[in-house]
Amino acid sequence: MTAASRRGLLAAFAVSLPVLVGVGYSTLASLGLTGPGAAGEGSARIARVLGEPVVWTGLAWSLWIAAASTALATAAAVVVAVLFRGGARSDRVARLFAVLPLPIPHLAAAVAALLLLGQSGLLARLLTSLDLLTGPGDMPALVYDRPGVGLILTLAWKEFAFLALVAFSVVATRGGRLEEVARTLGARPLAVFRRVTWPLLWRGLLPAVVAVFVFAANTYEATAVLAPSDPLALPLLTLERYTDADLVRRGDAFVLVLLGTAVSLLAVAAHEWTRGRWDRLEP
Amino acid sequence: MVSRLRLKERGGAGSGLFSCIAVALALTVGCHTPPRDAAAGLARLPWDSVLARAKGNTVVWRMWRGDPSVNAFVDRWVGPRLKERYGITLIAVEGQGPEIVNQLVVEREAGSSGSADLVWINGESFGQLRRENLLDGPWAGSLPNGRYVDSSSSIIARDFEQDPAGYESPWGRVQFTLIYDSARTPNPPRTVAALGEWILAHPGRFTHDQQFTGTTFLMTLLYALGGGVGQYQGGFDSLRYAKGSALVFQWLERHRTAFWRKGETYPSGVAELHRLFANREVDFSMSYNQNEALAKVRQGVLPATARPLLLEDGSIANTHFLGIPFNATHPAGALVVANFLLSPEAQLEKQRPDGWADGTVLARSRLPPEWAARFDWSSEDPRVLSPDSLAKYARPEVSPGYRERLSADWRARIRHAGIEK
Amino acid sequence: MTGRLPARTVLLAALMLSALAPLGLLLVASLGRGWFFPALFPPSVTLESWGDAFRGGRMAVALWTSLGLAVCTGLAGAAVGWPVGRALADLRGWPRHLGAAAAFLPVAVPPVALATGLQISALAVGVAGTPGGVFLSHLIPAAGYAALYFLGVFTLFDRRIEDEARTLGARPRTVLWRVTLPMMRREVGQAFLLGFLVSWAQVATTLVIGGGRVRTLPLEVFAYLQAGQDRYAATGALLLVIPALLMLGAVQFAVERAEATPL
Repeated sequence: MTAASRRGLLAAFAVSLPVLVGVGYSTLASLGLTGPGAAGEGSARIARVLGEPVVWTGLAWSLWIAAASTALATAAAVVVAVLFRGGARSDRVARLFAVLPLPIPHLAAAVAALLLLGQSGLLARLLTSLDLLTGPGDMPALVYDRPGVGLILTLAWKEFAFLALVAFSVVATRGGRLEEVARTLGARPLAVFRRVTWPLLWRGLLPAVVAVFVFAANTYEATAVLAPSDPLALPLLTLERYTDADLVRRGDAFVLVLLGTAVSLLAVAAHEWTRGRWDRLEP
Repeated sequence: MVSRLRLKERGGAGSGLFSCIAVALALTVGCHTPPRDAAAGLARLPWDSVLARAKGNTVVWRMWRGDPSVNAFVDRWVGPRLKERYGITLIAVEGQGPEIVNQLVVEREAGSSGSADLVWINGESFGQLRRENLLDGPWAGSLPNGRYVDSSSSIIARDFEQDPAGYESPWGRVQFTLIYDSARTPNPPRTVAALGEWILAHPGRFTHDQQFTGTTFLMTLLYALGGGVGQYQGGFDSLRYAKGSALVFQWLERHRTAFWRKGETYPSGVAELHRLFANREVDFSMSYNQNEALAKVRQGVLPATARPLLLEDGSIANTHFLGIPFNATHPAGALVVANFLLSPEAQLEKQRPDGWADGTVLARSRLPPEWAARFDWSSEDPRVLSPDSLAKYARPEVSPGYRERLSADWRARIRHAGIEK
Repeated sequence: MTGRLPARTVLLAALMLSALAPLGLLLVASLGRGWFFPALFPPSVTLESWGDAFRGGRMAVALWTSLGLAVCTGLAGAAVGWPVGRALADLRGWPRHLGAAAAFLPVAVPPVALATGLQISALAVGVAGTPGGVFLSHLIPAAGYAALYFLGVFTLFDRRIEDEARTLGARPRTVLWRVTLPMMRREVGQAFLLGFLVSWAQVATTLVIGGGRVRTLPLEVFAYLQAGQDRYAATGALLLVIPALLMLGAVQFAVERAEATPL
């Protein structure tokens, strides 16, 4: 192994050590060896928790939210990055407003969404004043709803800002010359996009997309504000178990934490595998 | 090459920093510190010694900080007086029952010193802390102001039927009420049965939350449908629970499709329920504080026409207590604070209708005459319930086991009814 | 060509509206009293929650705590991420995948997992409940993001300029300070910003490691929300947005000014 490899692996190890320690503790706790709710159940607890349908519906719901919001945000980011890539004033203004939501915390965005999209929110009040609704009950449910529309829109709004930022830098640094070549070779704009721009964007965006997906699946604050109580999203279920009246069940939370982590790690592994395939295809 | 070595250093420096952090963080060996009987020992000393030891203490009090009136009382009234009279600096820190228990469990494992000297607990959290030996004591009986406490009341002398046994000291009491809007609902239902009919007649206008207050509503149903609180006193009885809970779930099944959002989703806490109520999505809210309507209208959280409502089937009441963790660093200060909060002066201030309006745990009969008179107050404000009706309908809490089971079963059978088990 | 313009204008307007509308809504909510359905505008306005924030109340303390933590985390995160990311970028083959995955770990593992897992270590070492402990807990994901970011940056980085500087006789330290860093001003600024924002928005780690004693602004916003104090929550939310926006602007400005000066 070269010196470069040794350095790199040492760096990787150092960066991931605290995380591994944390995950290690959670593993011990989920086996009932430590932490609140430690009862020495061993793997029986893990089996019990993973056998509950509530856990899997919660996980599935969280993954649905993550997938939908990430897809929306990615599509919007790509569109905006391609349409507003120039140096004109309108382009710069558009790029500024696209990333404006970046420093706005998810919690604040969720509160704004609640105030806007709730059945008694501003949108409903507007429609009521126009006599299109008679009361909050007539307004379609966009928050605390099973499909999670309000939450998806809120997360997508936030993640769009982040993905747009990455997309802008990818387009700025990579796209220019290849696209010019394609155009001079006579390709039509849509073909240029499909064959040149989109693959470049996708490769540049993929790490960010994975990070966004993983974040959305595990985020607590926005979910706590906008999600329904059934199916109960995984982060909400986790906290509920951690503060359960039954002390022993509190240890269940560690199993759920590991479940959420496992999903994240799977996503990261999938990303690395995809990267590996691309690297092999490249000259 | 020299440059490669320097690069390694830099890469190493970054990873070195991290390794140090990581190694430090990897110290997970927990030593078990045996509980120190600090407060218990202090309780045996004359009070003047306790006061002397408490001088200059910083007391960290973990309590619920979710209400501005409560915070105003603690930060702006209690804090300065403790500083002035006893030289104690009070730091109030957010924390509720389950968090406090978890924190103490982990602190004991880590062998670290206590982060809290005083904790606001009751019922379930008290039971868990006692079972795990996380509380210091007994000490409550040694407080000079303890002689004023109304120990004849079953609601104060017992914490969810558990005997405080000197491990916790009472400091306030509250009672469960519904809240309605007199403008929307001029003739609200006053019994559980009438409420059920009202719900069916007004679909989508009623719900309850998923936390402590919501569970209290379910317990109210248990008492009302199960034949009264007497059925459930004397410890947890699984047979009685089975019979009673069956009635509760029957009632819920019959009415839940007429709940808000067809009973498919429930607000997570009382704050969300208040929001729904204020914004006309539902017509009832609830609170485990009899004076919630008063305070929340003043804060602009509830509409001015909000009124409290006592159900004639019974209004569950409980007392909140103060405990001292086993690893408290300033138990003497904690004792002084607990005693101060029991003083007639503090209890009176806490009870003020334009402040927190929390019920007192002191007995009029035990107070010196000049204080006793000041505790009697009546108000013409329709947002205030008369002490007589409060006393008439008050029902004590029963063993925490009922709440635990009811809440768990509600989640499984009602909240996740769509999932087959 | 003219057919394209309306679509762009519409999209531009939509972008502006979608970015500003939520902020406007929060502003009104932070000032309104008793703003219930079906009122389109608050019946009365109060500066109470803003007054509390500026008179050194709970929110002011939380604001300064958050700022201090975020600035430190941004600086430390960039400082740690740079060498780590660089070292990882030098890897080839399977160690590279391992390295990238390891760098992803602090980012991928949910903060809740991190916090509960490290709580006991923090307690054992004695940093739990202290700003220092919370800073360290923020640094873990921040350094991770920075390392990942620099991994990407150094992968694209053309080392030939550095090699040329060294063949001209410059010492490695000189190469770093006079050649590489000036070229990377924008990237360093972005990495600082990343770390700043990561710390700025942290809730789970602050709550668990801070044990309720270290009060940052997002924690207070959440607490106000759970207590039903929407006006205070909205004020806190805006107080969360403004400094972060200013920091974004400041970093952009500093980077652009620096880039305007010739090397």
